[in-house]
Amino acid sequence: MPFLAETAAGIPDISEQVLWAILCAPLIAWAIIVAGGRKYPTIAGYLAIGGVGAACLLSYITLFNVMDADGGIVKYTHEWFAAGPLVVDLGVRVDGLTAVMLVVVTSVSLLVQLYSTGYMDGDHGEGRYFAHMCLFTFSMLGLVLADNLFQIFVFWELVGLCSYLLIGFWFHKPSAAAAAKKAFIVTRIGDLGLLAALLLIFRETGQFDVGVIQEWAKNPATDGTLVTLFALGLFAGAAGKSAQFPLHVWLPDAMEGPTPVSALIHAATMVAAGVYLVARFFPVFEASPDARDVVAWIGATTALLAATIAMVQTDFKRVMAYSTISQLGYMMMALGSLGYVAAIFHLFTHAFFKASLFLGSGSVNHSTNTFDMRKMGGLKPHMPITYWTFMIASLSLAGIFPLAGFWSKDEILLDAWRNDTGLWAVGVAVAFMTAFYMFRAIFLTFHGEYKGGEPVDHHDEDSHFHGDPAHPHESPWVMTLPLIVLSVPAIMAGWFAYDHMFANFINHALPELPHHEGSSFEIGIAVSSTIVALAGIGAAYAIYMKRWVTSESIRETFAPLAIIFENKYYLDKLYEDVLVTRVFHRGWNRLLEANDRYVVDGIANGSARIARQASLRFRTLQTGQIQSYGLGIAAGVVVIVLAVYSANPL
Amino acid sequence: MSSIDIVGPQLAVLLAAGVVLLIDALLPQQRRLLPFVALVGLAGSAFWSLSWAGRADWHPDAFGGTLSLDQYALFFYFLFAGITATVVLASVDWVNREGRGQGEYYALVLTTCAGLMFLSAARDLITIFLALELSSIPQYILAGWGKDQKSSEAGLKYLLLGAIASALLLYGMALLYGVTGSTLLDDIAQTIQTDGESYRSVLILAMVLMIAGFGFKMSVVPFQMWVPDVYQGAPTPVAAFLSVGSKAAGFAVITRIFFIALPATFLSDDWAMIFAVIAAASMTIGNVAAIVQTDIKRMLGYSSIAQAGTFLIGLAAISVHGDEFTLGASGVLLYTAAYAFTNLGAFVAVIAISQKIGSDQIKDYAGMWKRSPFLTVALAFCLVSLTGIPPTAGFWAKLYIFNAGLRADLAWLVIVGVLNSVLSAYYYLAVVRQMFLGDAEDGMTIRTTPSIGMALGAATLGVLVFGIVPMPLISAAESAVEIFAR
Repeated sequence: MPFLAETAAGIPDISEQVLWAILCAPLIAWAIIVAGGRKYPTIAGYLAIGGVGAACLLSYITLFNVMDADGGIVKYTHEWFAAGPLVVDLGVRVDGLTAVMLVVVTSVSLLVQLYSTGYMDGDHGEGRYFAHMCLFTFSMLGLVLADNLFQIFVFWELVGLCSYLLIGFWFHKPSAAAAAKKAFIVTRIGDLGLLAALLLIFRETGQFDVGVIQEWAKNPATDGTLVTLFALGLFAGAAGKSAQFPLHVWLPDAMEGPTPVSALIHAATMVAAGVYLVARFFPVFEASPDARDVVAWIGATTALLAATIAMVQTDFKRVMAYSTISQLGYMMMALGSLGYVAAIFHLFTHAFFKASLFLGSGSVNHSTNTFDMRKMGGLKPHMPITYWTFMIASLSLAGIFPLAGFWSKDEILLDAWRNDTGLWAVGVAVAFMTAFYMFRAIFLTFHGEYKGGEPVDHHDEDSHFHGDPAHPHESPWVMTLPLIVLSVPAIMAGWFAYDHMFANFINHALPELPHHEGSSFEIGIAVSSTIVALAGIGAAYAIYMKRWVTSESIRETFAPLAIIFENKYYLDKLYEDVLVTRVFHRGWNRLLEANDRYVVDGIANGSARIARQASLRFRTLQTGQIQSYGLGIAAGVVVIVLAVYSANPL
Repeated sequence: MSSIDIVGPQLAVLLAAGVVLLIDALLPQQRRLLPFVALVGLAGSAFWSLSWAGRADWHPDAFGGTLSLDQYALFFYFLFAGITATVVLASVDWVNREGRGQGEYYALVLTTCAGLMFLSAARDLITIFLALELSSIPQYILAGWGKDQKSSEAGLKYLLLGAIASALLLYGMALLYGVTGSTLLDDIAQTIQTDGESYRSVLILAMVLMIAGFGFKMSVVPFQMWVPDVYQGAPTPVAAFLSVGSKAAGFAVITRIFFIALPATFLSDDWAMIFAVIAAASMTIGNVAAIVQTDIKRMLGYSSIAQAGTFLIGLAAISVHGDEFTLGASGVLLYTAAYAFTNLGAFVAVIAISQKIGSDQIKDYAGMWKRSPFLTVALAFCLVSLTGIPPTAGFWAKLYIFNAGLRADLAWLVIVGVLNSVLSAYYYLAVVRQMFLGDAEDGMTIRTTPSIGMALGAATLGVLVFGIVPMPLISAAESAVEIFAR
């Protein structure tokens, strides 16, 4: 069976106004909320739903138009900035990849906005919350619609800013403020790589256009080292945003933000932007096997590292956070193994079931006032909708046939197998752990005895918890409806793999179709991964449900490993204690001190004197300062003249 | 068309200055009208300029070639009218509180504006010098306008050092005249082109002396030392005026002189290198010193030195590519305009805040977000623009001028500029962080008066609009420097 449809793609019939409208609808909602809606949280919520809903509707229209054209490309470009030969365009580009991203971003965003009207109800900053969410949606849409790297970079940073604002949404909580800062700084480190790539590509081609860069990378005359450098720069940015090792440390802390934020930004959309970036410039990675190896192995390392940590977490939401990191590692591993389709397909399915899992954890929190799994248990009869939707999403994530995750994970493992059996082995190990930690979480949370949740602290003014944690209850419909809706794609999104529909659709976004061929389904890979996933579920069942083996005894057997996992491989400690505190802070302080002592006092001699008493000042004025300034001017003239004469003798 | 029509924009401003003085003297109870009259005069001036903008019959040589009405001059007419209007609005509260000499204050501000306009249109050394003094003398007085000794000290310092700078400038002009026998820039250019090479040593001395004279106005190293003292001591609206108005005029006139009178390659190689070195020094010294400042006005003073260094990259960027000869010059104009909006916005926000909290200490800006979201967002936005982060006018201007530097093979200078931008982010964003994340000791909200709100709104709107749609400003700057094309 041929891997690709033979038909060439057409040009989608979408007018430019529609594309700009998609981008601007959330922006307009943002502007209205900022201008006056912040004080009316209910209206702000409706505005956010309206703005994002409009964008969502238009995104589906766009998707169908692109489907009619078999995933062809349409772009509209304007000159944004021109300085002689330097031209920066402002444009929108839609192809199969963009259309998929548009639909994912707006669908999840719309459901999250709806969910938020319940979850955030009564919070002091509700209006501000919806404003930030609209701005985020706008930035994310700008990122995926951009037709050049410069524009991508601008929106990339804007997305980072929104993430910062939303992680630190409860900024009076020191942990939230610190998490926001950490996320901002860690991702900036990766962005330096992206900036370097931006400068490099401008030096080489003088342009930023996606198509031009793709052609540049494919051109045999291009210097291979430059392509690799460019690819690694892009990947550095992607690694920061998609929380890849060693820049993954910010994402678990980002869970300090409100849970719907985690679902939208730190699970379904923004963190996937790194994967999107690599996919957007996939021909560059195709052209550089070295960069591809880096991507694949960093991805595999991340997947394994995060999955092992997820197995020992006690915080419900952090299990999900590490799971996200691990799955993003999976996608990167696929990209590094030439699995462009597999990576985007997994991004697509993962967005739905992971958003569902996060929203489910928020629903649990809404009822118990905690994320600590040791304080939960037995929630199944109290929260049936949350339980069943969570179960569906977990099965999908674990990769159980025929749910969405099964299909996309399978494609990744197949690509990994073709590239390097070592990668495949890591992938299978991670599949086992994924099934294990998800069902560990389910059994601890929903089964067994209820342990009472977290009592409400009535003195905490900022708490907006209304329920009684002692009597857990199902969440209101605005929160359960998104869960139910998300369960549909969590089950069915994988079925687009049928007859290579998905592959054909997004392949035309590339200038030349991927050169590796073959069946996208191999029964051996599928069966083995399913068995492994079932084994993971079984292990969790044995330990946490039936307690045939207690978790304590396992922990004792593997004590050294467990300690390493629980301490997150000591990476946070390394960064914070050693790099930040010892090296950076002390070094910076010394530098500032030296600057103070030698440079500033030296240059602005006397400038500090202005603060002295009046009597002193007049004396200074008469006897020193003015003369010394005047002398400085005269000396400057003499020095410059002498320098010119000596540098360029007459 | 008479020559008088050409100086219409200046006359409108001077007329307003006269009316202001008359109202102050004859109708003292109507003093609240004074800023309004000043604004009307400035608006009239801008409309007069606008009426010229659409016309083709330029007067390149009015008044015997000493003044010219070209696109270059028009660009600055608009800019100075806008700057002065913002300064007038920002001054209203301060002047009302100060009480005395209200008419004189506005009249001096308007006279300065007229001087700046003349300066940007002058094509003759004597006219340039006269215009410079016309704009400088009112500023010396304004710097010492405050009642406290700090202000008097600032005024005196500015006057004495300004006199030294004028003397150096005059000396340089005299040498130039001595060599070429003319004070008209075009004639000077011709003489130098034909037989100037033998006088190169004298011409270099003349150049450096003029750079020193204008360098004082532009506040670039090593002629910058007065800046922090005077900015801190002078009344804040006046400091804002100095930091934007006289700096812009300095760049306007030095660009015109060097591009029209001294573009001969045996000179431009030298002056481009001088400007490049001064640019690197100004950026580095200004930023390094700004990092440790605790007083926001001193911080803005040092930052304005660093910013002036960035302007100078444009002057240093005499491109080796013939068709891009004016890329650096248009970069200077673009940067001037972007910087004018941005720095004015920052200063106006500082005026509004310091009036209410009675302090210029950066630590007292902590938690400003809760006390006045409008002022905080506006100030933060301007600081972001000064750093050069999109989507702001400052970002495009920096990009433009760095690009001009790269095209002129000044990669080292651009690298210094980029590193300095990173350095400047440290202290600019430290203020932003303090305002958003710090804890306010005093939770009292700060109300903004209408005049300050208008001034700040106009400035930040300019920063935002040109941050999103930069092309109109770029086209204006590029057509303004067409007069230099060769």
